[in-house]
This record gives sequence, structure tokens and C-alpha cells, in this order.
Amino acid sequence: MLQAPDSYPIDRPPLKSTLSMPYTLTPGRAAGVFLAETKNRRLVGSRCGSSGLVCVPAQDFCPSSGGADMELVAAPHTGAITGFTQTRAGIIATIRIDGADFDFVHRIVGAEFAALKVGMRVEAVWAQTPTQSIMDIEGFRPAPDAPVGTIEPLGEAAEPLPMKPYHMDLHYEHAFGPFYGRMFDEIGTNRRLMGVRSTHIDGALLPPREVDDISYTKTGTWVTVPDTGTVRAMSVIHLEFKGQKEPPPYIYAEIQLDGAVTRLIHSIKGIDMSRASELVKPGTRVRAVWSDARTGSLSDISHFQPIPDDVEPTST
Amino acid sequence: MSGFKNVAVVACAQTELRTAWSSAQHVDLISSTVSNLLKGSGVRLPDVDFVIDSGSDVLDGRSISNCGFLGAMGAHHKEESRVEEDGLWAAVYGATKIAAGAAEIGLIIAYSKPSESDPSLFYSSQVEPFYQRPVGFDHLAASGIQAQQYLLQGGGREADFAKVTARAWKRASANPLVQVEAILSEDEIAASAHVAPPLRGAMMSRPLDGCVAILLASRNVADRISPRPAWITGMGSAMDNHAFAVRKPGRLEACEAAAKAAYRRSGIDPAKASLAEVSGSSAAGELMVLEALGLSRRGQGFEAYEGATAINLSGGALPADPIMATGLVRLAEAYRQLSQPADHGLSSPDTAIVHATGGVGMQTHCVVTLGV
Repeated sequence: MLQAPDSYPIDRPPLKSTLSMPYTLTPGRAAGVFLAETKNRRLVGSRCGSSGLVCVPAQDFCPSSGGADMELVAAPHTGAITGFTQTRAGIIATIRIDGADFDFVHRIVGAEFAALKVGMRVEAVWAQTPTQSIMDIEGFRPAPDAPVGTIEPLGEAAEPLPMKPYHMDLHYEHAFGPFYGRMFDEIGTNRRLMGVRSTHIDGALLPPREVDDISYTKTGTWVTVPDTGTVRAMSVIHLEFKGQKEPPPYIYAEIQLDGAVTRLIHSIKGIDMSRASELVKPGTRVRAVWSDARTGSLSDISHFQPIPDDVEPTST
Repeated sequence: MSGFKNVAVVACAQTELRTAWSSAQHVDLISSTVSNLLKGSGVRLPDVDFVIDSGSDVLDGRSISNCGFLGAMGAHHKEESRVEEDGLWAAVYGATKIAAGAAEIGLIIAYSKPSESDPSLFYSSQVEPFYQRPVGFDHLAASGIQAQQYLLQGGGREADFAKVTARAWKRASANPLVQVEAILSEDEIAASAHVAPPLRGAMMSRPLDGCVAILLASRNVADRISPRPAWITGMGSAMDNHAFAVRKPGRLEACEAAAKAAYRRSGIDPAKASLAEVSGSSAAGELMVLEALGLSRRGQGFEAYEGATAINLSGGALPADPIMATGLVRLAEAYRQLSQPADHGLSSPDTAIVHATGGVGMQTHCVVTLGV
């Protein structure tokens, strides 16, 4: 079972990577009004026109009927615990606000976990400084004597919060595996580009892999390819976008290294960028310019640069 | 066997499920598994009409990750689809294509490498971002509250949580495809630290790395590929409300609905099924699933292990949860048990119930029934 990965043990540390994702979230009407009204210390719910059921906090669609005919209402700040647990985030509970037909989740504050019971009366604890967030309620605290509140008409309400900036970072440690592992080791240690022989066509596959995509038979014979090649496609990038490694303009090209049947994407530099599309075209011969850094990644090649008057070798 | 003989599982292959496949990347696991699957079955890749794969872009750390895995999957210039749900949904999708007459042989693949990231972030990325995520509500909190509600409103017993966990790990230690370093006793589990009370650390499913692949075939060819095809007799899936707090406390209504759809089609009486392979993301979750599938009475989940149906001989999802592949692993396990019963201590099993789940607090469920 799974011979290949174990047969080439490598000790490369994993590749650390972070996906940093910015968002502008749209709350919509119900959540938008809820978030806009927390600064007034009002708890906004919604009542479905067809089922008559009340959600707190407000929703645009009824969880029961799916109806979109939702009237916004003012909910009391009191309710009862219907379930609870404790994680690293604190005590998390499901709470049924008085007059509501559905639970919602929030924190319990000002209470010991061991003292909590399902059915316990609670009331909202409001944060001192509102931030237009569900955390404008810090949590709910036990309030054994709190009177049972009722759902009331909302009356005048703030305009819904149109947008909420949000950010999520996801961190990874990617394994290289035996094929990518050796390829990057060879780049970092020996300044050598290595692939594996294709089993369906005469040439090398880069990146190397256990099976040939097209014939689906095992590869396995490693082969060195030179750091020269031919541009097969290119584009001059003028747009700015998130995640860019360098300011535009720059050239991204698909380069077929001599002896390879695959294409490598890299940048092309060392030319007068004002004449980029004239100097670099499909067919242009290029050579890798290695950087001084040895990181064992494709960025060890700083860029490719055109070889004037060079001719593509004919394949045998 | 009664019911339909349209589509069958005819082969499966799987890597060992490990805490970390640090020596292999996704494509290495996938290409090794698919190569082994084809070798064992005698099917050649040109015979495969389509490929359907399951995995998570969030866990993989790249968008549309199947695009980068196509070659390893054997999907070069083939009809390929991605299902962003557990692999059992991919199998249902594939079975539907074959049953409709659109194809004869389908390759279904699911893989997971949760060791490369923090799986709690995978789950919190699924949580609603305005009302729930800022509060700290996540899969762990949902599982804890779900377990509490199962005790209070579902009639369950807390002592069963340690019993079901200990049983699962013992079974997994006998499973050559699951890496188990140490088995905890029931007492050790019952005394371990709480992570989301009433749940303790060992009572949550353990994310593992691995890959599984199966071949589905039409009735025209199934008998010629496998000496003992496992026919898909029923399929059902259902999804509960995304907001955990508005779901019915103490039970899994979506699992009940998925089972009902599958049983209606197959005519199976769950109490008479030979074996079941089910997924639970916590000890309480596994008990609730057994009840929702009709394998035990309400609040009496543990009685299922003592009944006529062999439950989770593989160990199930608690010791081995390759997120997004867990349910397809259940299908592969059920196929192995039906096709090689003696290896699993079974005499003459003829029906199986296979279950997968997904989402925060087990929001989604898929049920497949098999017959031989």
C-alpha cells in the first residue's frame, strides 16, 4: 500500500503558508438593523408573517416556514438558558429570549459553569462601547428575578448597517512529499531543475509526480533539464491586485524548459519594459537568472531573461 | 437480494489513516490510492467514464483544489466533478449518473489532510459570521451543547459516552487501515479533561489524514469486475437548519429524513440490517445517529452495539475522521465487510447501512444502503 511516498523519505520541513482573506460582509436587512440598533441597546427580532413565529436575533427568512415576510420587532433583554457548554472561548449557551420561538447562541458571563442549569433566567449585559457587533452584548448573566418580557413593535429603527469589514487568516503547513520534495531540494542544494520522465511522450514532467497524467502509468526515472527554455505564452501584467509579489508592470510567462513537456510559470525581466510585448513573445528563448538566496523554492530563480538570437533546439 | 440492481460498489482502495501523512502531499496520496484501486480491480483508466471527488478547499489551503489534483486522480480530459461534501455524497452523485444510464463505471475519490491546518478553523469558517462566529460558537461548542441536549431531552446516558468511545478505539486498533498508538480504557476516557462538557477530549472524533477511492459500476459490468458486488439499494440525504440553535434539540432530524428516504427506496428494515458503518463527530453524535437510523430506541443508543446488526466494526469516525472522506471510508469498510465477511468475523451478511455527516454540529447527513 502506498509504496511511493514512503520509499523516498525526505526531511524537508513543511511549507508554511497563510491565506489572508479580506471580506466586506453584507448583513442584509434583518441582521443589518440588528447590528445598527445595538448602539441604542435594542435587541431586534423578526416575526414571520405566515408562521407568526418570532426569531431573536432578527432573520430575513423564517427558520420554520422559510417565509421572507418578516416584520422587525423589539425583543426583551431577558430569557432562559436552553443548553450550555464550556470551551476555550468561554461558556457558550443556547438562549431562548422571552417571547421568541427559536433559540440563539451567546456567551454566559458573571456565573460559574457548575452553577448553571437549563431553564435558568438570564439577562443581557451590554458592552460599554458599542462596535456594531453581536458582541455589543457581552453576554447574558443569571437574573433569577428578571420579569418575563414581551415582544413589542420596533417603531422607528436605524438604517441597516450596509457592510461589515471582516478578515480571516488561515494557516497551513503543507507537506512536500517525495516528488516535490526532491525537486525543491535539487533547486536549493544543487541549483538543478529536475523532473521525471513522462511515460507517454519523450520529455520531462515538471513538477515531478508519481503517475503520468495522460498514460496514468508510474513515472519514476528522474531527469535533469537545463535552465533554458522557450516562452509559449506571456502577458504583461498592469493590474494591481491583492497577493501580488511585485508592483506592475511585469511579465508572467509560460516557459517550456528544454527537454520538458510541461510549462513553468515565471516572470521575465532584464528588458526595457516599455517594449515588453515586442521583446518577449511566444517563441522567445529565455534563461533562468538564479538569485543569491537558496530557499529551495522556485523563487531561487529570480526571473528568466531573454537570450538574444538563440534558437530553440529541435526535438529528436 | 430484493430491490434494484442498477449500481454496485465493485472495488475500493484506501491509504492508512494517519495522524499526519507528513511524507506525502495530497497528490501523492491520491495517485497511490487510485493506482492501487485500478490494479486490484482489473479496470483500466480508459474504462472509467467519470471521476467525482470530495475534499475541502479550506482544508487543502487552495481554491478549487481539484484543478491541481486532476492528473493524480486520473481525470485528465475526463468528465470530472467536485462535491464539497463528504465523499459519500460523491458516491450518491456517481450512482445517480450510472442509474440514469449516462455511464457504466465511475471513480469516486475522497481525501483529507487536516494535519496541514487547524481543523477548528475549517469548522469556524462554516459558522455564520454576524451572530455566531464573534461569540466563539464553533463545532466544539455545538457538539457540547448537542451532547447536553441529548442527555436532557433525548433521554441519553452520560456513561454511554465513555463506553462508545472506548469501544470505537478498541475496534480501530484491530483495523489495519487506522493508525492507533495507544488505546484509552473506558475509565481513562471518563476521567479525561472536558473540552465541551459533557464531552471530554477523547469523545470528539479525531481528524486524520488519508485517501479512499471506490469504483461504482452498472449492472452490465459489475458482476464481471467484482466476485461479490455490493448493490446500492437506497440513497438519501438531508440538511438541517444552518443555525444550530433552531434545530430540534436532542435528536438529528436530518439524519432521520435521510434514512427514511434510503429505507423507502430499498425497503430495508434497519433492525434486520447485517451491518452498519456510521459517522459521528462526537460520542454523543454517534449514539444520536444510531437512534436516527433506527438501529436503537430513543435515548438507548448504546443498545445498538449489542443488537443483531454489526455496528462500526472498523471503529467508525471517533478514532478516524478524515474530514470529507470519513463517509466514503464507511462505504469502503461496508463493501469490504460484505465482500470478505470472514475477515471481519461475519458469517453471511447481506445488507449494510452506510452513513456520513458533515457541518457544524452534524448539520448534514447522507445514508446509503447496500445489498449483496
